[in-house]
Amino acid sequence: MSEPAVRRVAVTGLGAVSGFGTGKDALVAGIKAGRSGIGPIEQFDAAGFDHTLAGEVRGFEPAAHLRRPGRWGRSGWFAATAAREAVSDSGLGPGSLAAARTASSFGTTNGESQVLERLAEQVVGQGTDAVSPELAGRTDAGRIAAAVAAELGLTGETMTFGTACAAANYAIGYAFDLVRTGEADYALCGGADAANRATHAGFHRLGALARDVPRPFDKDRDGIVTAEGGVALLLEPLDDALARGARVYAEVLGYGMTCDARHMTNPDAASIAECIRIAQRQAGIKPEEVDYVCAHGTGTRANEAAEVAAVREVFGARVPPISSVKSVLGHTMGAAAGFGALISCVALDEGFLPPNATLREPDPELGPDLDCVPGVAREARVRVAQNHGFAFGGNNAVTLFGKVAA
Amino acid sequence: MTAVLELDGTRPATAVADITGCGVLSAAGPGLAALRGTGWRSPLPRTASDEPDWPPLAVAPVAGFDPAETLGSRGIARLSRSEQLAMAACLAALDATREGPGADRTGIVLGTSMGSARAVLDLLRDTFQQARPYLVNPSGFPSTMMVSAAGRAAIRTGLTGVNATVSGGPVAGLHAVRYAAQALRNGHADRMLAGAVEELSPEAAWAWHHGNALAADTPLAEGCAVFTLDAPGTAAGRRLGRILACETAFTADGPAAVSALLARTVRTALARAGVTAADVTTVVPGARGRRGWAAVEERALRAVFGAGAPPCLEIAGTVGEAHAAGAALQLAAALANPGPDGGLALLTSVGTDGSAGCLVVDLPASPGEVP
Repeated sequence: MSEPAVRRVAVTGLGAVSGFGTGKDALVAGIKAGRSGIGPIEQFDAAGFDHTLAGEVRGFEPAAHLRRPGRWGRSGWFAATAAREAVSDSGLGPGSLAAARTASSFGTTNGESQVLERLAEQVVGQGTDAVSPELAGRTDAGRIAAAVAAELGLTGETMTFGTACAAANYAIGYAFDLVRTGEADYALCGGADAANRATHAGFHRLGALARDVPRPFDKDRDGIVTAEGGVALLLEPLDDALARGARVYAEVLGYGMTCDARHMTNPDAASIAECIRIAQRQAGIKPEEVDYVCAHGTGTRANEAAEVAAVREVFGARVPPISSVKSVLGHTMGAAAGFGALISCVALDEGFLPPNATLREPDPELGPDLDCVPGVAREARVRVAQNHGFAFGGNNAVTLFGKVAA
Repeated sequence: MTAVLELDGTRPATAVADITGCGVLSAAGPGLAALRGTGWRSPLPRTASDEPDWPPLAVAPVAGFDPAETLGSRGIARLSRSEQLAMAACLAALDATREGPGADRTGIVLGTSMGSARAVLDLLRDTFQQARPYLVNPSGFPSTMMVSAAGRAAIRTGLTGVNATVSGGPVAGLHAVRYAAQALRNGHADRMLAGAVEELSPEAAWAWHHGNALAADTPLAEGCAVFTLDAPGTAAGRRLGRILACETAFTADGPAAVSALLARTVRTALARAGVTAADVTTVVPGARGRRGWAAVEERALRAVFGAGAPPCLEIAGTVGEAHAAGAALQLAAALANPGPDGGLALLTSVGTDGSAGCLVVDLPASPGEVP
């Protein structure tokens, strides 16, 4: 088999819908300042829950951003709105994307979970035979990547990944491969999930929800805060981007994936370490070249114990600064790794380390000399950023982004 | 995907993957053998009208599958139907395959619609009906995630390579094959188990019934088919088929546009496979079981083949309408029916959301004993 001819791949557009509102600028400003995007639950009736905070998108008006919002669920709204912003941010006209082979590759944990919630209300309230075929027809998670393609008039490949909380890294990696090998001319990629009752109840029951805010790496961290949002990156060949004078946030250097194949919910440090090594090897990066790790950093004791052990195994004595944007966003599930990718790209472009805003005292059990960037963003030269995403099912995916010399 | 190969020494073609094993669970029974020929074998589809919670609709559960016997009884009750089917099909696909890459270089990708509807709705029901909304069954929570079927299959098979879940209605199986082919091509894995799974649930059945969405004489079905895929020419031993091309595309402009897009997608796939429409010996349509969409698919096939359309392998009467497992079961049916001289099969698939896709597979003349 011949080695595929490959192209370098640039990130030239970014878009986001998050607890900080609609738009990537609001997101980046919020993260850098260490503000919290977390507040009271409004997306479902939180009566009876002990934990009633979430990182929700407030006051989102889909009709202000989308042509046919009635066709899509809330996750699709977020993905399509973020994608539209990424296209606008890239300086490419929407027409040029529609005329080319433009792929749509998005990740999600729960798909159109609010549609499912409404179906469950029908069934519980009126019986199994009350299921609405119109609602049932909108439960397919594949409609998230489809919503992006439809709203932007794209006719290329659509791919929706259901690889839970690592899904956006899978989606970005797949899009990278498509553009790299010429299977696609452009790709919009990222992730989306909507706040919903089932996810909140499930993590609540597992005892995995924080009392107030998530505190990744803190000695008193006690869990996640459920959250929602959508995020999109526009990928195109680096040479094309440079030729048209585009703003290049970063280059996608490569990615890697492993599966623990041990337990559905407990992370596995050895498998994560192997995933990091594979990603670095695919990207042609040595550990000492990595300047920043955008952690999965959920805020649970189990995650950070496994994640830091894996990082130490790979990096040895010199662990790069490591932080989690979940400290301010909460856990946006299928979008989470996409938000990590977005902030990594902006960090490379602008030169800062995103903070662990809620960190009070690093957990001594995670070992000494761990720079978790507490408080607010810190100016720093970042040339290579490593972005983590780990998921239920033992699905691990790590993406690497590099600064492109001006 | 451009590996250029000599195809059985006759014509040059590009290829995306070799199929070296498979695991199939369908309404027709276990394995490829149950899919030989067309038409129903026993057991006939069950009409569920007399069962509580089910609509008066013909439904066809997977036949000849005893989860406890195949997977062991331990912990089986907490697994969703999708998880059980996926685990069993992945085990069967591995069993049917000769020695190959290690567990760390072997991955899994499964297509689905939204995972297990039953698991999600059971959990949501608890949130509404228990004393407190969070008093859900904790052991049922992982099964509500789409990721769970592939994740459990990895635990069961011990495969630590790439593990992915992709969604997309009837086209999901083609998404999985495309993902697997890219993973092989880009060095993420040396072998991929790729397929798709669908489970029956009364809620989904009511939606099909109310929507009057099934074609006449088509039962609503479930199933799972998983294929062992190796990079072309890399695996020793038996080959069930060689996938020459797999293409998907999307349009939001309605059924007529889907027809045109599917025709374009087929032409692209044939060109990338290095073959012409005249080389196709069998078409396996995917939308026959869905009212309205069969005509959309038929229009595209007429546009590609004109009057000279090759014979169609009709599977709606054999495996029913198995939604997200549809394209994977189409591929299984193609492998099960290569004909005495082998041939070139074209699978087509359309989704209600505007997805279209197709797959071109070269079938060997003598597949030998199929699993």
